[in-house]
Amino acid sequence: MAERAKPRQAQDKLAFLLSLVPYLMDHDRVSVATAAKHFGVPQEQVREAVRLIGVSGIPGDTAAYQHGDLFDIAWDDFEENDEIVITNLVAIDDSPRFSAREAAALIAGLQYLSALPENADREAIATLTAKLSRGASAEPSQVAVEASETDDTLALARESVTKGVQLSFDYLNSQGQAERRRVDPLRVESVDADWYLRGWDHLREAVRTFRLDRISNPEVTAEPITHGATDVSLPDKLFEGSVDDLIVTIDIAPSAAPLLADYIPDNAETVEHDGRLRTTVRVSHYHGLKRLVASMPGVATVVGPPEARAVVAEWAAAGAARYR
Amino acid sequence: MEERLFSLVLALLATDSGLTKNEILSTVQGYSQKYSHSGDNSNLERQFERDKDDIRELGVPLETIDSPGQAGNNQNLRYRIPRGAYELPADIAFSPEETALLNLAAMVWREGSISGESRRAIIKLRSLGVETTEPVLTYAPRVRVRDAAFEPLGISLEKRQYVRFAYLKPGDAEASVRTVAPLALVQHQGRWHLYADENGTNKTFLLRRIVSQVAALAKTFPAPPADTKDRALLELEDVWNRNTAIVEVEPGTDAATRLRRRRGSSVAASGALELHYSDTNIFADELASFGPEALVISPPDLRDAVRTRLERSAADHG
Repeated sequence: MAERAKPRQAQDKLAFLLSLVPYLMDHDRVSVATAAKHFGVPQEQVREAVRLIGVSGIPGDTAAYQHGDLFDIAWDDFEENDEIVITNLVAIDDSPRFSAREAAALIAGLQYLSALPENADREAIATLTAKLSRGASAEPSQVAVEASETDDTLALARESVTKGVQLSFDYLNSQGQAERRRVDPLRVESVDADWYLRGWDHLREAVRTFRLDRISNPEVTAEPITHGATDVSLPDKLFEGSVDDLIVTIDIAPSAAPLLADYIPDNAETVEHDGRLRTTVRVSHYHGLKRLVASMPGVATVVGPPEARAVVAEWAAAGAARYR
Repeated sequence: MEERLFSLVLALLATDSGLTKNEILSTVQGYSQKYSHSGDNSNLERQFERDKDDIRELGVPLETIDSPGQAGNNQNLRYRIPRGAYELPADIAFSPEETALLNLAAMVWREGSISGESRRAIIKLRSLGVETTEPVLTYAPRVRVRDAAFEPLGISLEKRQYVRFAYLKPGDAEASVRTVAPLALVQHQGRWHLYADENGTNKTFLLRRIVSQVAALAKTFPAPPADTKDRALLELEDVWNRNTAIVEVEPGTDAATRLRRRRGSSVAASGALELHYSDTNIFADELASFGPEALVISPPDLRDAVRTRLERSAADHG
């Protein structure tokens, strides 16, 4: 693994060097802090790159890397004021092209995001895709993601954030109860074809995650929001554990384990058992569990506690009974 | 290491007529220090071969040309990076709004080598110096690439190499070994598919049903047309449109809300939902999760598949 990781890092650093030079050319004088912020990298990475650029160049006519064959920077400004001024340029005039795979990654990403209200202008997306293709050094790789469907809820969530007001909607929780919820939208997240809204829930007075396809009758209200995206720090995991969570032991086929990754706590102990993995999952109630397990027939089995097994058995049996 | 790669790119950008391998190894920083004028440089030559691959992977068009009057003499091949093919065309610019969209598009990839590629694409984009506009609503989109076959297939796709793998078709007891030319990787309905040519016929394989390692073969194939990935998606969409299920849902339940909101869902005259799907087994898994809230009326194979699943789950937990 380490051997593979090393060239990757070197490639990342090379891409940064080749990108930093044209940026510096366009800025007669720029602080290390500004450049680091622009590229989204630590300041020390910029300093390291500038030090390297300052002593790099081309062999030149004499093949001896003479002074004029090297980049030069105003070293005093750099060492004393943390500012970058390039005083001699060699070889590089412009930004590099995207690789076929780089362009393809962005194009496929754009395609996937076509449901966002920001992407309502399909023509703009087509123009952008064409620019990326033309800006690549080879035909972009054949990788694509199905366009997501435009969803009214997203447009309304955006509108409510713009206006600073709450969004209300009917929401069916996984126990099957419908409630009218009022939410300050904080962030829209997705995993493949599933989309989620995370927001401050005024009913629960806490951050909650809502599946977009469980939301009905969304409405922008006149009530001002109390929590903005910058006021609340959202955990990375879409589904957070809580102290009230129920712990369930489950046997799962190794190939299907990734499907449950979101529910398996970080410290869960996993052991092999008859060719299956035995591990624990956290769920807020058994009603969510029964749906999850019923979608993995023969692949995931609840081992215990007995109540959890019974809830799944009853759910599946009730479903099967409808076919008799 | 990046010092040597950077020096190599600079040297090859600066030359019009190209440099021979010997000139590179004996003069370019990072190589010249290790170059022996009398002895064996085979280690350094192997290093140079790896560096060429690393640089090309970044989209740097490193090309070889014959030395004048010495066509076909491999020892005297000359290497260079033609400026026009290296630089982003001058008329390509991105607005702050476009840059913001591309930042989001890059955020979609957070696993595997494709996340590295999108990260590098963004670094290159930032070299243009465009400031971005912040979107009103914050987004954290993510497409997963968890199938083990994704990485090796992506590489073979790029190198246009035939691949061989074991594929388990649902209902089959054993996997069959398939040898195909990989043409495109597409995600449809949240699942990755390989679109490939098998003995002259285009076929679609579900990545999660590839049950062996993917072996890359030496044999290569010509580049497919640029719109191959779009054709692959269209074919999947055709299958999806052709497969129609009639499903009764209990009003007011999770099944009613979510299946009604499923893409392409409509209400049939009977009041039941008419739904489209790609794959009987995968859709049956999804429908089984709804337990008694959904009842499949047709087609019979889907109905049987859901029923069997529910009976299995009930038995496993009884």
